[in-house]
Amino acid sequence: MSVRRALVATTSALACAMVAGCGPKPIEQPKPPPSARVLIVLLPDADSGRVGRVHVSNAAGLADLSSARASTEVSVNGAPSPVSTMSEAEVESVFGAALAALPAIPRRFTLNFQFQSEELTQGSRAVVPEILKAVKEYTSPEVVVIGHTDTVGAAAANVELGLKRAGAVRAILVEAGLDPSTIEVRSHGEGDPLIQTPDGTREPRNRRVEIAVR
Amino acid sequence: MTSLRWSLGVLALVAATAAPAFAQEANPAGKVKVASGAAFIVRNGTAIPAQPGQTVLENDGLRTGPDGTLGVTLKDDTRVSLGPSSEVRVERFVYAPGGGNLEMALKFVRGVAAYVAGRIAKLAPDAVRLETPAAIVGVRGTSLVIRVQ
Repeated sequence: MSVRRALVATTSALACAMVAGCGPKPIEQPKPPPSARVLIVLLPDADSGRVGRVHVSNAAGLADLSSARASTEVSVNGAPSPVSTMSEAEVESVFGAALAALPAIPRRFTLNFQFQSEELTQGSRAVVPEILKAVKEYTSPEVVVIGHTDTVGAAAANVELGLKRAGAVRAILVEAGLDPSTIEVRSHGEGDPLIQTPDGTREPRNRRVEIAVR
Repeated sequence: MTSLRWSLGVLALVAATAAPAFAQEANPAGKVKVASGAAFIVRNGTAIPAQPGQTVLENDGLRTGPDGTLGVTLKDDTRVSLGPSSEVRVERFVYAPGGGNLEMALKFVRGVAAYVAGRIAKLAPDAVRLETPAAIVGVRGTSLVIRVQ
């Protein structure tokens, strides 16, 4: 017993000697004060007005925020305060500068293909000029072309298939006049379906290419 | 002489093989979209002035001075912005829905910041971790603001 204790002591002393944490270390500034107080406020989504949910927890307790501007304050040694609602004016006065610096809301477009073809459907062809127009509204725009598949076939093969579809859309966008250097091509294969299905399900709506503009 | 040249050669070889491994670790997480006043990306202990278009990597810190603001859009459409005298760290960012790999951890260190959920929060809400010095914040697809003082 005592031998084991001695062994533990020796090992931890050794570990201490080896790990930089025990000796002097470079000061990484700035650190929050040990008495940090944190205020968390739930906001409605700017585009839809929808209000989600936020769960604030620490060792001492928890608080659930589920309505517009619901807030809680929490410090290191205590449970989150009871939920209260902040006024719009208070939110603006505390968080206005941060909110004003939020980048523009990313937009998503979906293109569908004619059956077993790399030709866009007629409806999707009409979306292409809209995408080009949207890109002009962003600073340092990024256009991410993401290929998706349904769940028929192996996951790895579907990643390849998605990449092929995305490549076809990239060509269409460049042809329409988009700067190729802003375009990134990816594939999410069957991992990010529009419609949730069991594996091995044919679903035309999942065979799509999404274009994220941000 | 020969042995010195030989060991230099070995050193160069080690450096050449180590470099790609290091580059692989620099995982791009997003891009700066808004920067005003004193706004920095803190990478490996160095503060780099932030500019729109600049890439943000996993493990980068976002930091502003007393007159600074900074806005970043991550690859999954998550948006994060900072008011003055603030710091947020991108501790973890994995966005590969094709392989089912999704993970995000942001650490709100000080100051005021806004967070608007992106695709990771939609696809796998439990894969999003927002850390503060006093509590962990879990989200269900939403927008929120945080002040650490």
